[in-house]
Amino acid sequence: MLRFPWLLVFKNLGGRPLRTFLTLASLTVAFFLLCVLRSVLGGLEAGIKASANDRLVVQSAVSLFVSLPDSYQAKIQSVPGVEDAIRWQWFGGIYQDPSNFFAQFAVDHDRLLKVYPEIHTDEAAAQAFLEKRTACLVGTKLAQRYGFKVGDRIPLQGTIFPRFDGQPWQLDVVGIYRSSSANVDEQTMFFRYDYLDETRRAELCGGPQGAGVYVLALDGRAPEAVAARVDALFRNGPQAVNTTSEAEFQRQFVSMLGGVPVFLSSIGGGVLFAILLAVLNTMLMAGRERTHDFGVLKALGFQASVVFMLLLLESVGLCLIGGAIGISLAVGSQAAVGNAISLVLPTYEVAQETQLLALGAAAVIGLVAGVLPGLRAAQLEVVEALRAEV
Amino acid sequence: MNAPAIQLSQVTRQYTRGGETVKALDEFDLEIPQGGYYAIMGPSGSGKSTLLNLVGGLDRPDAGQVVVAGEDLNQLTSSELADFRANTIGFVFQGFNLLPVLTAVQNVELPLLLTPLSRGERRKQALHALELVGLSDRINHRPRQLSGGQEQRVAIARALATDPQLILADEPTGDLDRDSASSVLELLERLNAEFKKTIVMVTHDARAADSAGHVVHLDKGKLERIVDNRLKAPEAGAPAEQEA
Repeated sequence: MLRFPWLLVFKNLGGRPLRTFLTLASLTVAFFLLCVLRSVLGGLEAGIKASANDRLVVQSAVSLFVSLPDSYQAKIQSVPGVEDAIRWQWFGGIYQDPSNFFAQFAVDHDRLLKVYPEIHTDEAAAQAFLEKRTACLVGTKLAQRYGFKVGDRIPLQGTIFPRFDGQPWQLDVVGIYRSSSANVDEQTMFFRYDYLDETRRAELCGGPQGAGVYVLALDGRAPEAVAARVDALFRNGPQAVNTTSEAEFQRQFVSMLGGVPVFLSSIGGGVLFAILLAVLNTMLMAGRERTHDFGVLKALGFQASVVFMLLLLESVGLCLIGGAIGISLAVGSQAAVGNAISLVLPTYEVAQETQLLALGAAAVIGLVAGVLPGLRAAQLEVVEALRAEV
Repeated sequence: MNAPAIQLSQVTRQYTRGGETVKALDEFDLEIPQGGYYAIMGPSGSGKSTLLNLVGGLDRPDAGQVVVAGEDLNQLTSSELADFRANTIGFVFQGFNLLPVLTAVQNVELPLLLTPLSRGERRKQALHALELVGLSDRINHRPRQLSGGQEQRVAIARALATDPQLILADEPTGDLDRDSASSVLELLERLNAEFKKTIVMVTHDARAADSAGHVVHLDKGKLERIVDNRLKAPEAGAPAEQEA
């Protein structure tokens, strides 16, 4: 078995330092972007993937923005297969400044932690949430962001539910929760539905009556059958409902982004195609410049296949190095990027699958970009190649 | 009697340039014995380089037979021709043709990759070849850090590294000054005399031709005459006497 001139592959990579550097820089940027885009897409899908199979969401058949009567709770609760039904209401309050956006939900406090076992908090917090009417739980990331701690009183200016006295709602932090699933992010505030509802009933604030959605915990029966029963129960009103799986409900939010996922995928594809052309151009130039060298190698007795492999391996090597740097940058900047976009995308992770995919794409681009120049070099006539200008 | 190192019989090679067919070699016959040192001379376009390319297995004839070191080159595939070049021929080019990204010793080691030698043996042999051409102190220099004469000596060391039977030199002194040319010619003479290498050298340089044992004169693709430098007169009865 004769040896391959590996040294030439490495030496040729460093033969034109500026060109190699610029090509590597392009590859680095491209694969960094690719990883970021794919991670953003992954983040959009994370909530869907993490959704529980044994929970359903009941919403108005008309629109998510139409509330459901509070009286539905008992009726839904009686449907065979439903273990619990809790109300969720989007609050939409402003903390100090409209730019300080975070999600706040009024929920049935006595069953939240039971229906969502992925929400973890300590015993004292859980007890305080049951006992204090103005209690709220905040996620760890939200607490970090605004420095919230247990005992703090958080004023929220109502927008959907403005208080008639013009004062903000006052909510007392009784616990900081963490989440063990992407389905529930840690930048949300949960407070008691009864606090909202009693204030509303006392006509101390404006806003719609009823709950935005009901979340149902099931007892293990087939979700589709339970959903059909719930929908059938309210088919004749007063408010028809649409019951879906939690995953489907999450998917609605992703679909609200319209073509964003498709757009991001298209950008990713475009980036890959552009970098393929850039590397192909680089390798064609390299092949042309080394025509004379290839003639020398062939004259010395190296086979055409060796000449082909020299360019192919150089191309693959270039792409793998650039790809690896880009991937490393994406992984290294994961925390910073994640923080920067955490409000719109709570889950941002450059997953191992993304890294492997990017590395695979780098190898494929290297192979594709190396084949044409490699073939051209392999097919060179020795005499013609030796005549080429040095 | 030993078989000739090189035997060309009725070799024709023609090219088409600008719609016109040009015969670079026309029913050409030549025999070069083993251990011979032959210079090929002739005006531009006389077929000197074509002859060297055919003997070196870099090109194929349109007609006729080229036998080198007992191999009929017409019968070899491209891959076999590459092996033939690796095992049998050492090339020395006018422009040196060293790979610019490699050092002197790496350039000399390059053809040794095509042998079964170990890494250590390859390095040892490359260093020995460089020592032979008097460049032991330049082994880690890149081509651009060497003078023209030194580059050509590295190229000769590379041609020698695999210990080929035949060295083909195409204008080896063409790009060199007088002193460097002299040292290269001395080296080639030594390789022929001491190491019994068969050398075929294409040249325009009369001084270089004088250093060879025989001078083959070509004109318009045909053999004009062969001069035996040892006799300092045309060979009596030899093909060189046959005017084209």
